Amino acid sequence: MRFVIRRLLLFIAALFGISVVVFAALRILPGDVASIMAGINAPASRVAQLREQLGLNRPLIAQYFDWMGALITGDFGTSILTGRSVTALIGTRASITFPLIILGLLIAMAIGLPLGCAAVLARSPRVRAAFHVLAIIGGSVPALWGGLLLILLFGKGVGLIGVLPSQGFPLDGWGKPGSAVLSLILPALTVGIIVGASLMRYTRAALGDLAGSGYIDMARSCGMTRTQAVLYVGLRLAMPQLVSVIGLTFASMITGVMVIENLFALPGIGNGLVIDVGNRDLIAVQSELFLLAAFFLGVGLVVDVLHRMLDPRLKSVSAVMEVDA
Amino acid sequence: MSGNSNNHRGTADRLAFASAALRSMWRRAEGKFALIVLALWLAIALVSLIWTPQSLWATDGYHVWAAPSAAHWLGTDGTGADVFSWLMAGSRTNLLIVLLTVIVSAVWGLLLIAAMVTRNSALANTSVVVIDALISIPTVLIALILAVPLGASVAVIVIACGFGYGLNLARVARPAALLASRSAYVESALANGASGWQVLVSHIIPNIVPVLAVQLSLSAGTAVLAESGLTYLGIGVPSGVPSWGHSLATSVKLINVFPLTVLWPGLMVTVVVVALNVFGDVLRDAIDPVANPALRQTVVAAEKEDER
Amino acid sequence: MSVTVEGLSVVIADKPIVSGIDLNIADGERVGLIGSSGSGKSMISKAMLGLLPLNASVSGSVALGETQVIGAPERELAALRGSYVGTVFQNPAASLNPVMTVAQQIGLPLKLHYDLTTTERAERVAAMLGKVGLAEETANKYPHELSGGQQQRVGIATALITSPRFIIADEPTTALDSITQRQIVDLLTALVDDAGASMLFITHDFSVLARATTRCYVLESGRIVDSGATAEVLADPKTSESKRLVSAARILTLHSADLRNIKEDSHE
Repeated sequence: MRFVIRRLLLFIAALFGISVVVFAALRILPGDVASIMAGINAPASRVAQLREQLGLNRPLIAQYFDWMGALITGDFGTSILTGRSVTALIGTRASITFPLIILGLLIAMAIGLPLGCAAVLARSPRVRAAFHVLAIIGGSVPALWGGLLLILLFGKGVGLIGVLPSQGFPLDGWGKPGSAVLSLILPALTVGIIVGASLMRYTRAALGDLAGSGYIDMARSCGMTRTQAVLYVGLRLAMPQLVSVIGLTFASMITGVMVIENLFALPGIGNGLVIDVGNRDLIAVQSELFLLAAFFLGVGLVVDVLHRMLDPRLKSVSAVMEVDA
Repeated sequence: MSGNSNNHRGTADRLAFASAALRSMWRRAEGKFALIVLALWLAIALVSLIWTPQSLWATDGYHVWAAPSAAHWLGTDGTGADVFSWLMAGSRTNLLIVLLTVIVSAVWGLLLIAAMVTRNSALANTSVVVIDALISIPTVLIALILAVPLGASVAVIVIACGFGYGLNLARVARPAALLASRSAYVESALANGASGWQVLVSHIIPNIVPVLAVQLSLSAGTAVLAESGLTYLGIGVPSGVPSWGHSLATSVKLINVFPLTVLWPGLMVTVVVVALNVFGDVLRDAIDPVANPALRQTVVAAEKEDER
Repeated sequence: MSVTVEGLSVVIADKPIVSGIDLNIADGERVGLIGSSGSGKSMISKAMLGLLPLNASVSGSVALGETQVIGAPERELAALRGSYVGTVFQNPAASLNPVMTVAQQIGLPLKLHYDLTTTERAERVAAMLGKVGLAEETANKYPHELSGGQQQRVGIATALITSPRFIIADEPTTALDSITQRQIVDLLTALVDDAGASMLFITHDFSVLARATTRCYVLESGRIVDSGATAEVLADPKTSESKRLVSAARILTLHSADLRNIKEDSHE
């Protein structure tokens, strides 16, 4: 319990730190933000109006507290360029990104976990070497290139077996679920294969360490075969580690799929953020960056706490661990 | 006790250690592959400084998006510039990015390690939890925050990657560093009036060099991947500067002209990243005295010392 | 169960670990295997159980009763382990499953080999806890909540729950302090004798060896260098290797015996 409270306090402190960093990063833009945003040929009156609208003529401290105050009440501001509220903007984008990464993670788990187990269970050195090569190559492919290769194979128009759409998301969003899902298959497959390779490596490493341990020998000496011992005892003991990895992987996929969203022209969270940064949409970028960072910190917190709950050793010795840590 | 520890080995010993490690890496097929690829990378980067098949700036408005030909092995881009030459020249930018990233993350990581193993327990505990919290923020997000004030620039990649990988490095190297910092020879060095920094440089760092070396070579691979992603997104290497990310982004547009050109830049990046990862793997075995008997003569005494 | 090992060799990564071991254990006999660390003792026990790492290559013959272990399929060996052969490991903290309660751990061999109801299993586990001198409420504890000695009692209970005919004890006392060591050795030998099982007791400690076994083999660099009745080997080692080992051990043993006396004095 003490651990949870300490971790929570740290979470709040980190949120504050991140908010200051994000705020500062956006204020030290070289030149005048308002004139950059308004464009090169904008009349002076438009620049002045923008400056007023953004509150840029107020002291920095006041600007920061305006922003924070609004954030706490759940008001994330309004995008200057589109006039839409940032909340609505993120909502629309999330309705694409989350299905994409959930699908991607499912594919990754379907690939990575069984292959990781198989790599540990394999008895033949050749098969083990083949798994090793597979994992290394899978983890070395640039996401962009992986996506391109899949488009070359399956993409409508250019692919060898051109059956799947590779560009864009239906304009009416999830209005037509069929075509929406179809447009997510290739991108999800791309991210699934790449993330699957890394999950495979984690699974193999975690299980492989355990496979040589006394726990597995003990289980086998009680009458389990090696396969049973690795799958029942090994997987259970590796669970805390694997849950952490899968949780953190899931979170990092939100921004990790940025390149893939861009390549497949999906207007998701990452892609939208890149566009907003390019447009210098100050309020939107500021709130989006903060929310994402807060989300990642939150996931880190949840994963740390879960990790302890899954491992009875850590639960009771957490006090000792903290002193040691 | 401290007379025979790692840090007191002379330069000659260090060279012997390095060459023994390199030789045992070379003996393995995958080690050979990694060393050859990395050597080729270095060679191509150097050659591209003085020669490329076509000038990078030779644009040709009549032959934009051209299919591969004898003059343009991989075709031309939207300005009619030679794709192959740009890919070749990209090697040097990526080499620079990787080296800078490795240096930044090593320095940052070591600072964090120093904070984590310090005798000041408040600082040590705080730094451990802060690292645990910050490590969950992805590199891309850091890059985006930096890109707002800095725009597309090599600095964005280097700082963002260096920051993230440094955190990782600190976390991975912490157990070894802690072990070294609590060892008998550090105790005696401190008792003899050595300062914290002296202890870090001459006792702790030498003991975590294996972990550092492996982790940094893995980071180097990740940095190459990060460059291609960030540059494609427009927040990495600025346009007009050759890089593999730039070539990959160009190849995306070439997909409708001549799909097979898409293969080469990506293949090149993949092969280099595989080589860096394999290098890390092989290096781990090569500098581990338990797995590599060739090293035992040089390190066994020092290692025994470490265990105490 | 009688055990016969003939010409057993184990090679790991081109390095010979065990070379041409011959050894036999009669039905109901307690036999020791002693050697310094790195002499290959543990690899012999692993080879006898079919638990060698994947990169080990093994040759020779290990007959546990009627069954030939070397080359046997894993399924067949698994059927043997935990039913006819019980194993006590060196370090219970690193072998007892940390996420299983004591009752689950001790009941595991029963669960894997016998078709019992949950109540029947609980009864047998409770009876076994009594035999190894653990309180009833220990059943619902996790290994990390127990002391080293208690953990090793759980290890012994797990090894003996199915009344196996052969016990391999691989340095079962090494991780313990000297008083607990003696208690554990006495407990183990008493239980093994009661059951009429045979035992291979592996150790590097001559005082423990003398207490636990009647006959022993001395192992040095993967070869058997001496063998005979334990008392005789200790009193009069035949070969130069075993002489060296015994005299070295005698110094250590005397030293630890002194310490033990001091400790016991202070306890009383």
